[in-house]
Amino acid sequence: MRIEAIGCEPLQLRRVHLENSRSLDVYRRNGGYEAIKKVLDGMSPDDVINEVKKSALRGRGGAGFPTGMKWSFVPKDSPKPKYVVCNADESEPGTFKDRYLMERDPHMLIEGILIAAYALTSKVSYIYTRGEYKYLIDIMDVAIEEARAAGLVGKNILGTDFSCEIYTHTGAGAYICGEETALLSSLEGLRGHPRMKPPFPAVSGLYACPTVVNNVETLTAVPDIIKMGGEAYQKLGTEKSGGTKVWSVSGHINSPGVYELPMGYDDMEKFIMEDCGGILDGKKMKAVIPGGSSVYIMRADQIMGKDVRMDYEGLVAAGSSVGSGGFIVMDETVDVFESTKNLTEFYKHESCGWCTPCREGTDWLVKVFKRIESGGGRPEDAQLMLDLCDNIEGKSFCPLGDAAAWPIQSAIKRFPEDFKKRLVNHGSDGSN
Amino acid sequence: MSTDLIKVTINGKDFQVAKGARLIDVCREKGFDIPSFCYYSDLALQASCRMCLVRIEKMPKLQTSCTIICTDGMIVTTQSEEIEKAQRGMTEFLLANHPLDCPVCDRGGECELQEMTFDWGGLEERFTERKNYHAERYLSPMVANDPQRCILCKRCTRVCDEWMGEDAIEAGGRGAHTVIGTYLGWLDCSQCGNCIEVCPTGTLLDATYRHQTRPWELAQNITTCNFCSDGCQMSLGSRGGEVMRSVARDRYVNGINGEFLCVKGRFAHPFINHEARIRTPMIRYKKGGKLIPATWDDAIRHVAERLDTIANEHGRNAIGVVGSPRLTNEALHVLHKFATELVGTENYTTTDRFSLKSFFDNLGAPLATQRDIRNAKTIVLIGGDPGELQPLTGKQMRQAVRNGGATLVLVNSVPIRLREQAKVFLHVRPGTEDAIVLALADPANSALAAQKAGIEAEAIDAARQAIANTSGDVVIMISHEISSEAQAIVAQLPRVFAAEGRRFLLHPLPFYNNSIGAHDMRMMDAATSPAQILDAAGSEIRALYMAGSFLPEQLEGREDALSKLDFLVVQELFENDTTAAADVVLPAASYAEQDGTFTNNDGLVQRVRQSIPPMHQSKPDWMITAQLAKELSLDFGYEMSASAVFRDIAQNVPAYSGMSYPKLKDETNPVQAHYASGPSESGDTAALRDRVDALPDTGEKVMVTPDVGVELFRLGMLTDKVSQFHLLASGNPRPETTAISPLYQIQPPMNTDYTDKEKQLV
Amino acid sequence: MSTQIVSIQPLSQPVNLGVGPAVFSPEVEAEIDRHIAKYPVLRSAILPLMFIVQRERGYLDPPGVLYLANRLKLRVTDIWEVATFYSMIHIEPIGKYNIQICRTLSCKIRGAGAITEYCSKKLGIKVGETTADGRFTLTEVECLGSCGTAPMLQINFDYHENLTPEKIDQILDKLP
Repeated sequence: MRIEAIGCEPLQLRRVHLENSRSLDVYRRNGGYEAIKKVLDGMSPDDVINEVKKSALRGRGGAGFPTGMKWSFVPKDSPKPKYVVCNADESEPGTFKDRYLMERDPHMLIEGILIAAYALTSKVSYIYTRGEYKYLIDIMDVAIEEARAAGLVGKNILGTDFSCEIYTHTGAGAYICGEETALLSSLEGLRGHPRMKPPFPAVSGLYACPTVVNNVETLTAVPDIIKMGGEAYQKLGTEKSGGTKVWSVSGHINSPGVYELPMGYDDMEKFIMEDCGGILDGKKMKAVIPGGSSVYIMRADQIMGKDVRMDYEGLVAAGSSVGSGGFIVMDETVDVFESTKNLTEFYKHESCGWCTPCREGTDWLVKVFKRIESGGGRPEDAQLMLDLCDNIEGKSFCPLGDAAAWPIQSAIKRFPEDFKKRLVNHGSDGSN
Repeated sequence: MSTDLIKVTINGKDFQVAKGARLIDVCREKGFDIPSFCYYSDLALQASCRMCLVRIEKMPKLQTSCTIICTDGMIVTTQSEEIEKAQRGMTEFLLANHPLDCPVCDRGGECELQEMTFDWGGLEERFTERKNYHAERYLSPMVANDPQRCILCKRCTRVCDEWMGEDAIEAGGRGAHTVIGTYLGWLDCSQCGNCIEVCPTGTLLDATYRHQTRPWELAQNITTCNFCSDGCQMSLGSRGGEVMRSVARDRYVNGINGEFLCVKGRFAHPFINHEARIRTPMIRYKKGGKLIPATWDDAIRHVAERLDTIANEHGRNAIGVVGSPRLTNEALHVLHKFATELVGTENYTTTDRFSLKSFFDNLGAPLATQRDIRNAKTIVLIGGDPGELQPLTGKQMRQAVRNGGATLVLVNSVPIRLREQAKVFLHVRPGTEDAIVLALADPANSALAAQKAGIEAEAIDAARQAIANTSGDVVIMISHEISSEAQAIVAQLPRVFAAEGRRFLLHPLPFYNNSIGAHDMRMMDAATSPAQILDAAGSEIRALYMAGSFLPEQLEGREDALSKLDFLVVQELFENDTTAAADVVLPAASYAEQDGTFTNNDGLVQRVRQSIPPMHQSKPDWMITAQLAKELSLDFGYEMSASAVFRDIAQNVPAYSGMSYPKLKDETNPVQAHYASGPSESGDTAALRDRVDALPDTGEKVMVTPDVGVELFRLGMLTDKVSQFHLLASGNPRPETTAISPLYQIQPPMNTDYTDKEKQLV
Repeated sequence: MSTQIVSIQPLSQPVNLGVGPAVFSPEVEAEIDRHIAKYPVLRSAILPLMFIVQRERGYLDPPGVLYLANRLKLRVTDIWEVATFYSMIHIEPIGKYNIQICRTLSCKIRGAGAITEYCSKKLGIKVGETTADGRFTLTEVECLGSCGTAPMLQINFDYHENLTPEKIDQILDKLP
């Protein structure tokens, strides 16, 4: 499985192939912990936030919210303790980039957290890691202890009066806990149900204190932003989507893996057919889900010859979204009905059950899929499914409802043949 | 909430509303109905049912109106095609897995889901798939559960957590397989049944009432509970002269308690129609003989003759008159007239466990109402255990702390469950509560009090600070542990802590539904007590006329006292130790069989209304007393009218002046008795100080929190007629199987979709 | 500021489980203490502690639940409601090796179905079942973040990627 940068110098993937890439020594010898030194050496928390704002870094977990703006929402004069929480609950189908970032370069995440904690005057940070990634928690624990021994984590970091504790915390198998407020509920020891916004976590989050929740890849981008400056980082990408993005490529592709691309890499077709080796076994491409299962599925003819630009605005214009960057390629052997059923079952298993439309809606949709699959499809089913999706989308308590509806809506609209062929009338004489 | 007004436009019309008002409340108030399930007043907001969606201009998605606070210039649409589609969509989702078993569901006819579907749902249900299956089961002796009907509004889990502080019932599982239940599936809780009451569907049902009637067969009648002194308003449902259920659902009654009731208020009603009710008057013609049924005329005449004879032979004080703190004000008033005007005895009282005379004689502030307690900023509880003995007060205290940010100061010898909400807990040695009262009245006594109570003097200072720093209402509650000297001091504490912007209210916690009324009707005025009366039996007291009976603890060690009497006449519902010694037993009517009033521990005078005709030949207590008086040539002139008695009360009891039944008609606006209050001479603490000095200097503390139900499940004369209470009193043992019978359910094969783990949740 | 009460029984719900709480070795207790020390609020340690109890007891059994309730000063029902929310916490017995096969899209289109069938046949059990000797449980789980090396499975906490039937034989036969 490949891990490499395409179309730019590797930033986040700079050290992944080095021997002992996890060790503090290797990290330091390859540009590590320079950024935190620079920060502690004369930048104020506001300076740090401004650099991140200039960088046009957007949340890499899937929502794409401008990171600098999120950080600036934390009320500086609040007497409550502030928390930085790293969202390592990577569970979006098709996404596995955080796994390798943590596995190969844990210190990069630690440095990113330290800088964020400094910027937000936070003294405690938690890395909420999905329970299945237990081996990564062990890796992070070792790295944190290494850093502590070198005076980089804990009290008086690098001899200054900046102190920051970093703890790992385990999830236990719930995709919903990747949603930031559900993550906070889970971290507080409750059931992982999302919470009402407002109040936003930046004002009232973990233990009702100001909290910033950021994805792993967002935090690992921070050291480079400090080192090269926000503007330089932004210039690597596009005006509204600065820097580089790490994509996770899988499916019917010859070279699946983790790829770092500059934001705005302007040829998705080239990316698939050349950079990632093209379709497995020389088959034809049929569909691509570029940003994790929750984004609209794309037809091949929406990509081929279309110069799709791979950044937030470009993908939206092309009819999908960057999302988490979980890039799933499907060839002509895939029945989109089945692939959509597979994803709907995912959302039904993972629905937290809090709100009516998502809980009942995903359950109903799975049952409709099952009925159609076993031969009981009716012509009105396509409209029924679209209508149910319409009743879920925008009406659920959190975005998981929307995420469950979008794959189905886009699949039915863009691959109607795969659905229509199953939705025939069963006359009483057995005729179609 | 502020009194500033802002402009909100709803469906094109402009309205001026209070700043900070909740949008759903505002819309409903202005006549725009909005459906909702999970939104429930004074419970944590959920926004999970998604029924209350509205369109607010400038907000991209439909918003739940229950979470929106109105802002100036907000433009709201509650009626449009988009919203109607959403409402139809949500009801359709709720009905997807919901079984179509209205014909066998007890909630049919009172079901919020039925009503919501009729009002807001579509005509068609497109779900033709297999519904998720869950077996019906019992969760406790009182709670039946059909998880399939659940729409996960979580009202039940919230009331269990927020009202009761018990957190016994919770949601387990995830997604469409979420089920309301508890670990190992058996509820060990106070069995209040509030989860049943607030459930909008037939998921949680009254197991004691299951499959007995339909709501439209019942006559629902609003009355006041006859158990503790909180005076919850309830609606008794009766059919054919039998009380079938007791509910507080807001479609039937809206009193000080909302939909809250405790296990006794909700489930102890079977005593009313129990077969052991005394049926006819009975006379024991000779000592040691049997009680023989007699007619009312014979019995009344017999009693009158004997009382007359004894009074003539031994004097007026030889007749004792003892009432029960469970009787109505009317009964106690007539009893008092009988005792003082007719007999002229000094030996009258009630069988209450303690007297509040000293408290009321020295009352220095108004009594707090339940709403005052909820809105108080500091609550001081001295002794008692409202969680077990006055559950509504306990609930208001918990919500005051949780939702109102109140500070609770607890002074108790037992670490009662309310200590979970207490900010300051003075854990004192048993019997030393007086010392704390002394210290609160005068800080100079802190050291003495701390030493006697076995706590630090700083702790008492902390309590005093908490009271002194309050900006808002302070409520001081007392129970039975403190002496009458201390009662007088507590009643005057408001004067000690008086300050601007701070209201001081008092809240006594007597045991019974009409303890306060007994006091108001002057039945506690005489300087005697049940113990003294029993001790005088056979010597100064030769005869007793009782409306009620002695408590087992009062008869303990005095078992032969009653047999020393020349004559004992008892009006009661059931035969017991007291009637076993009686010469005449008269059948009394229960609170469900008569009109009257009870006065609760807020001083609220609330109606008791007749739901069923008196059982067998029983009569209301006051009528029996009036009839007896007439036989003894004093006609009180009430004819058969309870309201005439009440008019008499209003004329003779200053605190009740101006009241009448029509004024007490509306249970949502209860009327408080106007007690005289002001400074009194008994502000002097010398007598109390002497008592405290005499307390021992050492002692063991109680370290164990009593189990839930230690008082609620205690079997008394009334609750021991209910079989479920026997189960609860013996520790609520978990049965072999919780499967529900007898209705056979047609069970489809289990969804193959279930993992083993999920199947276990069934 | 309140007077401190020493040794008053905790307010956990008096559910009579009929068992005593689980007892762990000093090393395990120390491990638990270290986790509790990470958080300002005791309840936050519930998930790390559940994994420890599960590891020691095989699954979250009644003594384990009671231990957690006492340690975290929660009610037994609070433990239950959290435990049943998460896929990786088991309140029913589970095999020594929980073979969790990823069934989500990327693995599915790279042959997860065949892997599942192969495991099912090899172990002689259906998905969701446990072998009679309690050694293997076969489950299907959602995306494990290993899409680039699909198809794959996880045995307890260990990933096994780029699977073929031969590889599966090697892996399963080598388990102690």
